[in-house]
Amino acid sequence: MSLELLRIAAALYLVATAGFVLYFARPRHRLAARFGTWLLGFAFVVHGLSIGIACKEFGGLEWFTLRGGFVLLAWLLAGAYLLMQRIYPLPSVGAFVTPMVLLVLAPTLFGEGGSGLTPVATSRPALTFHIVSALLGVALFGIAFGVAIMYLLQEREVKGKHFGALFSRLPPLQSLDTLSSRLVRLGFVVFTGALLVGSGMAHRVWQGAWWSDPQQLRSVLIWLLYGAMVQLRHSGWHGRRYAKLTLVGFVLVIVSMVTLRAVPGATLHTGTYAPAVRGAPPAPPPQGTPAGGTP
Amino acid sequence: MSQQLELFLVGLSHKSAPIDVRERVALSGEDLKAALTELKAMDGVGEAFVVSTCNRVEVFVQAAGEGPARHFFTSRAAQATEHLYVKQGAEAVRHLFRVASSLDSMVVGEQQILGQVKEAYGLASAASAAGGFMSRLCNRAFVTAKRVRTETEIGRGATSMSQVAVDLVAKIFGDLEKRTVLLVGAGKMGALSAKALKVLGADSVLVTNRSPERGQALADQVGGTFRPWEQLEDLLVEAAVVIVSTGAPTYVLTQELIRRVMKRRRHRDLCLIDLAVPRNVDPACAELDEVYAYDVDDMQKVVSANHEARRGEAVRAEAIVEAEVRAFAQERETRAALPVLVELRRWAEQVARDEARKTLSRAGASLDERGRESVEAMAQAIVKKLLHAPTYRLKEAATQGDVDLPGAAAALFGLEQEDQPPRARRAGRHAAARPAASPEKTK
Repeated sequence: MSLELLRIAAALYLVATAGFVLYFARPRHRLAARFGTWLLGFAFVVHGLSIGIACKEFGGLEWFTLRGGFVLLAWLLAGAYLLMQRIYPLPSVGAFVTPMVLLVLAPTLFGEGGSGLTPVATSRPALTFHIVSALLGVALFGIAFGVAIMYLLQEREVKGKHFGALFSRLPPLQSLDTLSSRLVRLGFVVFTGALLVGSGMAHRVWQGAWWSDPQQLRSVLIWLLYGAMVQLRHSGWHGRRYAKLTLVGFVLVIVSMVTLRAVPGATLHTGTYAPAVRGAPPAPPPQGTPAGGTP
Repeated sequence: MSQQLELFLVGLSHKSAPIDVRERVALSGEDLKAALTELKAMDGVGEAFVVSTCNRVEVFVQAAGEGPARHFFTSRAAQATEHLYVKQGAEAVRHLFRVASSLDSMVVGEQQILGQVKEAYGLASAASAAGGFMSRLCNRAFVTAKRVRTETEIGRGATSMSQVAVDLVAKIFGDLEKRTVLLVGAGKMGALSAKALKVLGADSVLVTNRSPERGQALADQVGGTFRPWEQLEDLLVEAAVVIVSTGAPTYVLTQELIRRVMKRRRHRDLCLIDLAVPRNVDPACAELDEVYAYDVDDMQKVVSANHEARRGEAVRAEAIVEAEVRAFAQERETRAALPVLVELRRWAEQVARDEARKTLSRAGASLDERGRESVEAMAQAIVKKLLHAPTYRLKEAATQGDVDLPGAAAALFGLEQEDQPPRARRAGRHAAARPAASPEKTK
């Protein structure tokens, strides 16, 4: 049931993307952008329902898989964009963000939902907060990535004196630069919250072993990278250099997210959070558990 | 004896007449109002309306002939005669629609003309020179112009250097709130661009020039503040947009100077617009990060490309104009059929009333109040029933542009038909036996 709903949501995302792309290609079709926004909102609701049903069908363990992580990430990307659209009405950004939603969601449409394992710790509100906020942070970095691509394209047009279609359709450089830095800052704050809560939990569950988990180390490195970006912005970094850094940051986030989960047993983030006995080695991930998906 | 009126346009524009002729016949405000009143009072003129701008003076009259409109020009400048063009009927309608849609403008797609046509109509209306026909004509012209603007991209892209400057700056900064525009040199183009940039809400405009007197005069002209030439480097640190147009034969802003400036301004974006020939900004400045530099050639390229794009869109706009001209003609025909209907109903109701009265007077007191009302109602009901089918057919014929039926109905019932729809268009379809042209309104 959840998978069917997810496929319906994906179809709606596809049509919404078409609306945004049409608006970008032919800006006089303002209705296309409005239609895209409404459809994106509808897809977001259907997607949310699918997630809710998946929680009932498979338990929370779904969200520790790479597939589940992507399902949540796509949902948060769409939600964050819809929220951003209300604050910064730049519909042309939709043409860059909605394809990302589709790209993230596409691989999840062909897999099997759920892992068949009984989750131990997913009922903890702190864990839910950890997962959602970590992925929301990544979603915000993702939108910043889309905006940074737009900035670099527009900068090439403005600097290179190519006053063509892209030049007229893309928003002003300053708007894109400001938007991207605000998204990075907000993403950093959300990600910090996820990291603090996650670290506290990991310390309680795995005790000393948590620090050596590659997932933890990677999360700390990403946090440091984005923290540095926030700091650099304060010290005057902006424009092309900042946009490139935003691109690099997000590519690192996604690549590390995928590669870490591609190796079974590489991380403790598998959803089987049996509290460790003090002094005992961390529990190995059970056989057949898919690699976890949250950052 | 009624007289048939048709729409005539007599005018001259930037395409047909030089400015010294145009300025002799151009009128505005109270003068134009008086001229309209005079035009309306002329023999054979039903309604009138005059579009008078710096690029065109066009007189639209609903009249028996073009004479009164032509007189408007010849009475003001004899030499205007050889520059006049005359259009009639659908041609005149098409011309007005093209003018309002900015297809006949010097800069195709410019936005001012629609406002000017609206203003002209407002003035004619206030002078009681424009009535029902001109109102419908102008409203249809406004609808056409709006369609052209929204359904095509004819108004997109800047077509003047100063507008290009505004577009460029808008694509870099969005707006200029809390930002400063610096004008270096006292060139005319620079002043124009600085004025144009005010639409982006620049916080302040600074002017610097080697000659303080000319600099101060320019500052007063653009509503800015004059600062001495010696402060140039500091001013460059302060400004977001720099418009350079000095008469200097060499680079005033060198790469070295801008490199220094960028360091001092912590690499905040800087837009340099060089409107001078020979150039005043070293092209190498554009190589620096966060520096966006443009010269006259860059801007001219944009202007040319936009002109080209507008010409392409004009083809689509012409199709819209054509559709609207057809729709207007059809609307006129429909309206032309209505008088026959009104006359027919009026006549039939009168017959019903007369016959009911005769019947009632014969019946005398034998009928009570209720009975009398029944007789009157029956007479009206018979009329309604009898006219139901003819009414439907006449309306249908009108929407299909068939003018034969209203004429036949008028002849059949012996009605005096004052209004005739235009027939010139259908001359080919219906042979020659009909009178030529004919207007919506007759006097």
